[in-house]
Amino acid sequence: MGTPNAVGDWSSEMEVSAFRRLFPLHYYERHLSESIRPDARPLKRARDTIVSLGAVASSDGSALAKIGSTTMLAAIKMEVMTPSVDLPDEGSIAVEFHMPPICSPVVRPGRPAEVAPVISKQLFDSLLSSGMIDLKELSLIKGKAAWMAYLDIYCLDADGALFDAALLSAVAAFSHLRIPVVSLNDEGRMVMVSKELEGEKLDKEPVDKERRKLSLKSIPFSLTCILHKNYILADPTFEEESIMETFITVVLNSSGQLVSLYKPGGPVLAHTSAIQECVALTRQRMKELEEIIDEAISTMEID
Amino acid sequence: MEYVSPEGLRIDGRRPMEMRKLQAEIGVVAKADGSAVFEMGNTKVIAAVYGPREVQNRSQQLNDQALVRCEYSMANFSTGDRMRKPKGDRRSTEISLVIRQTMEACILTQLMPRSQIDIYVQVLQADGGTRSACINAATLALADAGIPMRDFVTSCSAGYLNSTPLLDLNYVEDSAGGPDVTIGILPKLDKVTLLQMDAKLPLDLFENVMQLAAEGCKAIAEYIREVLSENTKQLEFRRGV
Repeated sequence: MGTPNAVGDWSSEMEVSAFRRLFPLHYYERHLSESIRPDARPLKRARDTIVSLGAVASSDGSALAKIGSTTMLAAIKMEVMTPSVDLPDEGSIAVEFHMPPICSPVVRPGRPAEVAPVISKQLFDSLLSSGMIDLKELSLIKGKAAWMAYLDIYCLDADGALFDAALLSAVAAFSHLRIPVVSLNDEGRMVMVSKELEGEKLDKEPVDKERRKLSLKSIPFSLTCILHKNYILADPTFEEESIMETFITVVLNSSGQLVSLYKPGGPVLAHTSAIQECVALTRQRMKELEEIIDEAISTMEID
Repeated sequence: MEYVSPEGLRIDGRRPMEMRKLQAEIGVVAKADGSAVFEMGNTKVIAAVYGPREVQNRSQQLNDQALVRCEYSMANFSTGDRMRKPKGDRRSTEISLVIRQTMEACILTQLMPRSQIDIYVQVLQADGGTRSACINAATLALADAGIPMRDFVTSCSAGYLNSTPLLDLNYVEDSAGGPDVTIGILPKLDKVTLLQMDAKLPLDLFENVMQLAAEGCKAIAEYIREVLSENTKQLEFRRGV
């Protein structure tokens, strides 16, 4: 790309948008040296976040989460299954993260995005290891029937920080979840009690009287930061992620404990001080996210 | 089962010639060149258009016109029971093909040779009429992307149950086993581009049902026109015109 001087000469001659496309790294470094980013955010600030519960009416629990333009739609469907022999009093969760071609110009049909299964696994691990859900609450009849919660997250717009938005939408969907009422029918199979029958007297007593919620303890929250030279940028956009490839994702739970730390290589080698700073940023972000989720839950309960 | 009560009301309280509530919004996916969400009652569909852009597979490149590709997929949670295979199954492949050929008829592909236009449609909630909702959403998304078209394509379905022609079937009416006519028209030119029908229907009744569906399409075209002109007014307003 030539010496910085040569680039500097170009920058005075061409239009800003052309410079941004041709020399993206120089464009960003110009901004970073003034401690600001092209979208006018300070380096440590995350984008505007919105959470809305109950986005999908046909599911048992759902939520839509937006961080900036990144949009995630999460929905949970519950199905009855037989628990495994070595864990007869626990249900289970299955997490799948989809990136349909609508979300980004780089995702093509027939060639699924590389990051999708990675994020799926990360989400599953974070949700389970954070201890948010007590699998024993998903049990119906010990040894015979338990709930399987299928969590599907669809990315509707991929503009960076995919894991953060996906985790937020998953947590919100679980807080919206209402477990359906089932009862044991004559053949010994679990049958969903439909809404019309819920109030009437049934032949067999249902397992739960009403649709109950899960009690969520220690909810996980995350923040992805990009490391570039000495700078730490919180909550990257897609453009920032593609130019500066080293990122670190920190997941903390609501009691402030570290749930997971993920730095998958990258050209920048980080000092422990940088990592500690990322954890501190995540702690701050966690307070913001907790407020947002609490507000979303209370808005829903008013309705 | 009774789909039309003696008073003339359907299961969801509509009249036989009444369509479900329409709701549409464009520009919902920031990264796409054009995008739209279209709702017909409880059926909710999101469409995104990427293009015209460089052809991905050089061997498929057409030298005199644009290549149009379409993919239809349903979200796992879109139907009552969770779907195992929402993309590669035969129904999705068939609908992808139908949408592609329908939209190809109205896009002026000659103006963009050696390029590719991708239309992706994702069903978020399915309650009958997903094919029609997808085509309507695709039309809006193409308009949002500024891709030159001959005319809109709007689509609607109609059926015949309990000796009454019904407009815009929902899932319960669709699965009743009666005939289901889906039509896609170019409203200004008044030409039919898509016509599909299942089950048996006498020929004289078919004319009625098809006419009813065409009326539905024209009503949808009015609504789409309103949405687009409202959007243009907003853009002008933001530019300070």
